[in-house]
Amino acid sequence: MDEAVDRLSYQMELRNVCKEYGQTEQSITAIQDVSFALNRGEFACVVGPSGCGKSTLLKMAAGLDTPTSGEIRFCGEPVKGPHPKISMVFQSFALFPWRTVAGNVEYGLEAHGIPRAERIDSVQKYLEMVGLAGYSHLYPKQLSGGMKQRVGIARALAVDPEVILMDEAFSAIDEFTAETLREEVADIHSQTQKTFVLVTHNLVEAVELADKIIVLSSRPARVKKILDVDLERPRDKTHSEFIHAHKSIFALLKEELETTIARRKIKKIPEFEKLSDIEAES
Amino acid sequence: MSAAYSKRALSTRASAHHAVAAEKYLWVVSLAGIFFVWETIVRLGIVPGSKIPAFTATVATLASSLFDAQFLTRVAQSFLNLSGGILIALALALPLAMFAGLRNRLDVAMTPMIMLGGALPDIALLPVLVLLVGSGNAAAITIAAFSAFFPMYFTIREGTKDIPKDLFHVAAVFNTSRFDTFRKMILPAVAPQLFTGLRLAYDFVWEIVLAIEIFSGVAGIGSYISGAVETGEVTHAFAAILAVGALAIIVDRLVFGRAEKWMRRWID
Repeated sequence: MDEAVDRLSYQMELRNVCKEYGQTEQSITAIQDVSFALNRGEFACVVGPSGCGKSTLLKMAAGLDTPTSGEIRFCGEPVKGPHPKISMVFQSFALFPWRTVAGNVEYGLEAHGIPRAERIDSVQKYLEMVGLAGYSHLYPKQLSGGMKQRVGIARALAVDPEVILMDEAFSAIDEFTAETLREEVADIHSQTQKTFVLVTHNLVEAVELADKIIVLSSRPARVKKILDVDLERPRDKTHSEFIHAHKSIFALLKEELETTIARRKIKKIPEFEKLSDIEAES
Repeated sequence: MSAAYSKRALSTRASAHHAVAAEKYLWVVSLAGIFFVWETIVRLGIVPGSKIPAFTATVATLASSLFDAQFLTRVAQSFLNLSGGILIALALALPLAMFAGLRNRLDVAMTPMIMLGGALPDIALLPVLVLLVGSGNAAAITIAAFSAFFPMYFTIREGTKDIPKDLFHVAAVFNTSRFDTFRKMILPAVAPQLFTGLRLAYDFVWEIVLAIEIFSGVAGIGSYISGAVETGEVTHAFAAILAVGALAIIVDRLVFGRAEKWMRRWID
């Protein structure tokens, strides 16, 4: 009974999520036993080396992919496919080039069957939120990368989701633009109090945005560490506390990284293979 | 090429505006040049007027033909053969090509067979086809559909394969129904390739429709032309050729010109 109440209190929960590819005989494990839980309104960053499977993890959270074993719960209910209250922002922006800025933001609302008059109001509201109010009639080809991603964020927000999943959302944008956009996303987060999950390989970005950082190992992805970031918002990257937090998190990661490297080296000697397996299990 | 050039000229130098406007109508000058050379050759007797009528004579005949019910019926018949064939081909190619583009297994099973079919020479198939469906308009429509199918199938299939995976993810994340995914995502995404295929098909099919009309005597402007040549009314034949050319260009501008204008707004 208590456990049930507990589960419901989490906005999103991953329980022993595994993802394997290929036939049973020669399957490759991409994600192994990943578990973590997020509270309502939390900003979580999933960090890990490139190609470790963090994007796959996010796709599963979005209901676009299914875990081989384990489960993902949203408000206590297992995620069995795309959920109207879970929205997503893509690294490639994934805008429809034949739709204008307004048309792209409207798309999710259309799909959710919202009447036209209401859609127009929402579109305007969220375009204002991302600073694109005057650009509604432009086509994606007329926009810079940063502006395209603003459209992507407005589209995700427009359906009024409870969870916004962001897949490397700032990685395809030049650093200057990305920095401003991150600040705005942090603002939107504190304004809307929605739950955000950002997958990234940028550690500074994670420290800047996250309440909780989930560090994954390289393939197969396992949870290395879950760190809480207790820095005040808005965060100033030049502030000594920020630098201190970043340093200590980086030190923790470095430790993890070194053990990974060491373990890899051990693995090359057959006698130690078992040892490293035991270590992995513990 | 010239469009890209004129665009650049516009953005860099406002003073070049008039030059650009003139360039846009350069084709009128070249067309007038061709007609002038045509007229001169015949007038000077380099080519006898009984074999090639003068340009002015051809235009005069064409003008009177526009009020000739029989002529107009023939043009309409050809146009129906052509449109019927293209529509049938589109109705078949669109779903098949999209499924092939979306499902790799289906593509592997189906596309080699379709390539084989596309490699068959359309013109050589004409006599066999006439044997099968007779030499009526049904034969013309069938062969038109046959030649229109392949360019459309391959361009639409390519277009579907080229749709970025993330666009499908967007459709899925927002719980888009199958029908809406097709209507609002796949169809506009393949529109550029679809129109390329349609245009290729349109050019092929004009020729194939005229060919079957001429060789198998199917009612249409093709048989009107061959009939006029046989009875020595060369001017009528030339007027009909001119009419076909003009019609082809008008439809091209009306359909593809508009589609292009729409796509230029959003394609990179």
